[in-house]
Amino acid sequence: MPQVRIIAKNFMDMVAALPAMKLDRLYQNAFICEAILRSLQPLAKKYVIQMCYIEEPITSKSLEEWVLPGGFSKHKVAIDRLLQLRIFSESFDRTTGTSYRMNATFQINLQKLITCGAILPREPMPSNITIRLPSSQELETYALQQWECFLLQLINSAQVERMTNISPSMMRIFQRGLLTQRDKETPRLTESGFQFLLMDTNAQLWYIIREYISNSEEIGVDPEDLISFMLELSFHETGQAYNMNTLDEIQRNTIKDLEDLGLVKLQQGRKESWFIPTKLATNLSVSLTDSSSRKEGFVMVETNFRMYAYSSSKLHTEILRLFSRVEYQLPNLIVASITKESLYNAFENGITAEQIISFLQQNAHARVAERVPSVPENVTDQIRLWESDLNRVEMTPAHFYDEFPSRDVYEAACDFARECGGLLWEDSKKMRLVVNTEVHLQMREHLRRQK
Amino acid sequence: MASGHVMKRVKYKTSVKDPGTPGVLKMSGDRIAFIPHNPNSASKLDVNFRSVKGHKNTKEGSNKPPWLNLTNDQGGSYIFEFESYPDMHICRDYVGKIIAKSGEPAKTAPAKPDMIAPDEQINTAELEVRIKLLREDSELQKLHKQLVIGGILTEAEFWATRKRLLEREYGNKRKQRVGFKSAMISDIKPATDGRTNRVTFSLTPEIILQIFAEKPAVHQAFLSFVPNKMTEMDFWTKYFRAEYLHSTKNAIAAAAEAAEDEELAIFLKHDDILAEEARRKIRRVDPTVNIEADQGDDYTHLPDHGIFCDEAKETSEPQYELYKRTLAHDINRHAAVVLEGRSVEVELEGTKTVAEALARSKQAEAANEDSAANADQEWLKRLSRLTEIEDLQAPHNHPVAPLCIKDPRDYFDSQQANAVKILGEDPLGTAKRKSAVNSNEAFGFLRECISQVKSVGLHDPIVKSKDALQVFNALAHDISRTKYDVGKISQESALDKLPSTTKEQILHHWASIQELLKHFWSSYPITTSYLYAKVDRLKEAMSQIYPQLEEIKKSVPANHKQQVSVLVRQMHQALDSAFQHYDADQQKRSAKSDQRLNGMRE
Amino acid sequence: MAPAPSKLYADDVSLLLVLLDTNPLFWSNCALPFSKFISHVLAFLNAFLRLHQLNQVVVIATGYNSCDYIYDSSSATSGSSGTGKMPVFCSKLLENLEEFVIRDEQLEKGGPGGGIASSLLSGALSMALCYIQRVFRSGPLHPHPRILCLHGSQDGPEQYVAIMNSIFSAQHSMVPIDSCYVGAQNSAFLQQASYITGGVYLKPQLLDGLFQYLSTVYATDLHSRGALQLPKSVGVDFRASYATFLLLIACLNFWSLPSGIIIISYSLSPLSVIRMSRCFCHKRTIDMGYICSVCLSIFCKHHKKCSTCGSVFGQQAQSDVASSSNKRKMSDS
Repeated sequence: MPQVRIIAKNFMDMVAALPAMKLDRLYQNAFICEAILRSLQPLAKKYVIQMCYIEEPITSKSLEEWVLPGGFSKHKVAIDRLLQLRIFSESFDRTTGTSYRMNATFQINLQKLITCGAILPREPMPSNITIRLPSSQELETYALQQWECFLLQLINSAQVERMTNISPSMMRIFQRGLLTQRDKETPRLTESGFQFLLMDTNAQLWYIIREYISNSEEIGVDPEDLISFMLELSFHETGQAYNMNTLDEIQRNTIKDLEDLGLVKLQQGRKESWFIPTKLATNLSVSLTDSSSRKEGFVMVETNFRMYAYSSSKLHTEILRLFSRVEYQLPNLIVASITKESLYNAFENGITAEQIISFLQQNAHARVAERVPSVPENVTDQIRLWESDLNRVEMTPAHFYDEFPSRDVYEAACDFARECGGLLWEDSKKMRLVVNTEVHLQMREHLRRQK
Repeated sequence: MASGHVMKRVKYKTSVKDPGTPGVLKMSGDRIAFIPHNPNSASKLDVNFRSVKGHKNTKEGSNKPPWLNLTNDQGGSYIFEFESYPDMHICRDYVGKIIAKSGEPAKTAPAKPDMIAPDEQINTAELEVRIKLLREDSELQKLHKQLVIGGILTEAEFWATRKRLLEREYGNKRKQRVGFKSAMISDIKPATDGRTNRVTFSLTPEIILQIFAEKPAVHQAFLSFVPNKMTEMDFWTKYFRAEYLHSTKNAIAAAAEAAEDEELAIFLKHDDILAEEARRKIRRVDPTVNIEADQGDDYTHLPDHGIFCDEAKETSEPQYELYKRTLAHDINRHAAVVLEGRSVEVELEGTKTVAEALARSKQAEAANEDSAANADQEWLKRLSRLTEIEDLQAPHNHPVAPLCIKDPRDYFDSQQANAVKILGEDPLGTAKRKSAVNSNEAFGFLRECISQVKSVGLHDPIVKSKDALQVFNALAHDISRTKYDVGKISQESALDKLPSTTKEQILHHWASIQELLKHFWSSYPITTSYLYAKVDRLKEAMSQIYPQLEEIKKSVPANHKQQVSVLVRQMHQALDSAFQHYDADQQKRSAKSDQRLNGMRE
Repeated sequence: MAPAPSKLYADDVSLLLVLLDTNPLFWSNCALPFSKFISHVLAFLNAFLRLHQLNQVVVIATGYNSCDYIYDSSSATSGSSGTGKMPVFCSKLLENLEEFVIRDEQLEKGGPGGGIASSLLSGALSMALCYIQRVFRSGPLHPHPRILCLHGSQDGPEQYVAIMNSIFSAQHSMVPIDSCYVGAQNSAFLQQASYITGGVYLKPQLLDGLFQYLSTVYATDLHSRGALQLPKSVGVDFRASYATFLLLIACLNFWSLPSGIIIISYSLSPLSVIRMSRCFCHKRTIDMGYICSVCLSIFCKHHKKCSTCGSVFGQQAQSDVASSSNKRKMSDS
């Protein structure tokens, strides 16, 4: 099974990939510091917070002192990440060994954050100016609707009644990698596209944002500015109104795009206009490994492979259709069944059994989510079995040898191949053997020597 | 007590009939040697204990001389006749220990059943269990070797503290016992010689036991009649006569004969004891029925499981009912006895012994049931619990009494006092520090602090880098110290760091100290002279451990010295407290005896 | 067991319940001014909230006469924003704290004349545990809770039972109680609480670096504690907590006996502790005694009734004594 990893799981990877200079500039912004602190591994967070007021370098030995025998790998990962993000810098001294000190900019920003709190560049607008603000419930529904509408358009433009305002060129950028289109045919989802659909919202969001940011360079916007702005946005309070005129031109353009994604809601008053960040926006700075942004589940799977999805969303229908046969649809209910054929179809499209199962588990209806397991075991097992059915034949690149001059040479060759661990098959009667391609070169060497 | 070796005057015999060669038996280490007084005698002996597979001995009080019979692995045996029983017992104990120690699957073959007195000698099974335990647990074996072979504890003392271990072992180990045959006794067919009218029944003790078990009345009759009233032969003749009458199905004839011969009547009548037993059993039936349990018992479809008596032929007249035994009766009774299993563990020899053994076991059973009689009430309760329908009953709430401590101060103070005493702290320092300011001022001060923070805000920086670093380094230092310190928590790791021989030694000493202390403390208060001697013995053994511990301390490499000394110190403390107690007790004793002396003088 | 550990948030989302000692009598005598103490604590709380968006802090003031919730970050709206002087939530917290102190003062009746200056730790612990229970029951997703006692006042013996109950209840719901003790002597209660619940007890040596202690030790979330060694008081001396130790013995060795009086004739390794035990009736040091199976008080001789908790020992007590001496005889013969 080819492993497709299209999405950088964490936006930190994106940040970490930035060159040192840009990184240092990013740390000028206190919000970025906080966002980065949040997205670190727990252990790394602890190291940062305990180093917060220590300006002198700390020896790596004194850090390792705390680590229990079982925790060394975690410790290593945490330190590596901190070095990679240039939050820690490493120095080596002959007497004390390796020691770390904290990035001064980062440290000062963090100290400020701790003693003074972060100060947003804009205040929420007083309530006497803003007309009726949406309740948090409304806002959440709005955000989800926007997001689903966007997704649906992304994967199947024909299905959407209401098109978003995202420019077709932008849409094409998002679709890049997720869809393939051959000539005049309707676009098809690629393997990554299928996987994309099964990811949780936060991961999807970050994929899109990443595409958006990486595309920004093409339209002449500095990606660092965009990152800063997005992260800043994530620290705004959901449900509060912020005046649009506090934004500059680029940011105003960006925020319009973000509205289409459901990250903010724009409202127009008599004189002024303002934006209201939604939960999707504030989730941007939440580390992605968390399932805390999980939404209400809707799928129930029965042991007879039948699936009931309480949803009226077209997107959900589309997603379920990826791996099951939709049998009928009621206004708020989709009934589908998982069949061998539907699953084979999904496997062919590059979706793995694990992805399907984790989708079912993550989106389990509240009633079944309480249960362990939330998806019946016989169903999950069967899905895995059907997948492994397809993988019965394993292909190994190999080389075939025959017409050995003598049995001795043949035997020696066999032994040699066996020693190298590359002997796949032998037929001693006809003096033929097959070896793994990896050992082919050594094998040839060996045979040459024999002559 | 058994020490390093044993030397006794004995007569050595190669067989039971052999008059024996006088000489000296010497057992030491792993060898048994016999040196005859007459140096020319051929019956010299020098064998390794490993070849000894088991030992038997005669019982004190029996009319046999004190013999010890050692069987070797070739099936031969060495018999030694001792001058006295105590001599023999010492040697027997010694042999027993050596065999146990050698860890070979040695067996003490049971002597003849009449030679075993259960309280005098541990039975074979138990011995086997002990040996097995020792073999499986090398720790235990080491301990056993040190304490029991070393003569500090007796075998019995050593095992007394491990009863549970033994029981558990014994529990899973008990071998399957031979039950009764499932063939019915009515199948005992007489052998006819064909010429005369005589029929011959051949009875084996096995069959007799079965008859007795199935027919308590016969058993009863046997015990009361034989041999006072009639000979065994007569008894069985009568019995089979009765059986014959039954088999003829002639109730009238049976009644007639019974009227003439009252002994015969016993065999012919219904068994009262049986009926009583049945009634008793019915009372104890579990009313819940396990329907599934019977499913496997259905044999009707199998061949050879039919009834070969024809019930229909039998007459039924009410007056002869008494003398009629139905087949159903027989089958049921037989089934019950077979299922009950055999509770008599004897070599089947004479009819008499069989009857007596059976009677004994019956008695024991009856005794059990008697004691169970007052448990009847409980049984009834359990019964009602078994039959109840759970969801209709109120839950069984166990009575709960809330914990109420009248004055927690009392409780805590005495604990605090303990703690303070342990740590040698000044109790007044913590408990009675009065505040210097009155509460108004104090509250005012607190509020002032709060508003100060409110107006000024947090200091920036909160901590100076210097302080922060100092704290961090102090903490890191603490961590590294506790990691290697022999604290309560890290004891395991501290042990693991030691060289393995030292570790083993320490663990072994710890185990033996524990064992000794266990015995030591359990001997208090000293009430008998036996306990007194035991405590002395234990004390002696414990004092010998001190130098050994010192040696360990000395022998370890310098880098482990500290850890070892901490460990050893704990052991020392445990021992010290025992010695203190011993001394205090000793003083009390001597004071008491002085008093008594004084009292006598006055 | 926490009700459903699988449904906690992933990794390190924490709920920190801070018990803040506001005993005026203590703070007026303490080397560390309260203003300094509170600003370190506020900085720490802020840092803690910065670590994860979903981290939650609840602050409970442990007063002299009362205790109360003074801050809950889940109900407060403004998250990270600041006024320039300090984060918004800090000023909010300080306001509430001030109100609380005034209320607490009003409850003050006779003044502390001779009373021991201890704060209501038991009350605050119970409140914290109640809050945690509510969180456990609130829904499938909840953060990992832990309690942090920032305490300075000395132990109040009259609260012994209540505190022990709280500790056991915390242990039962697997909530660690960390404690940072800034008072002069060690607190037996808090040592015990942290030991039993698997938390950390620490007595900072350098009070100027309090923030560093807090951030280095107490900021460690439960997830990371699996990988890190945190300070342990060297060989937790069982001071008051030897009752726990006795409880342990009772559980291990004597559980099978019916209730009544138990004879300790020998204990395992910490023999010295037992030897040092003093009976409750005469305060004599004994090495063999009777323990009340209900409250674990120790007596040097047999009583009909426990003088501490009032439990009446039935006939079983006698039979126990008899049976154990029987046992002894059997093992001796």
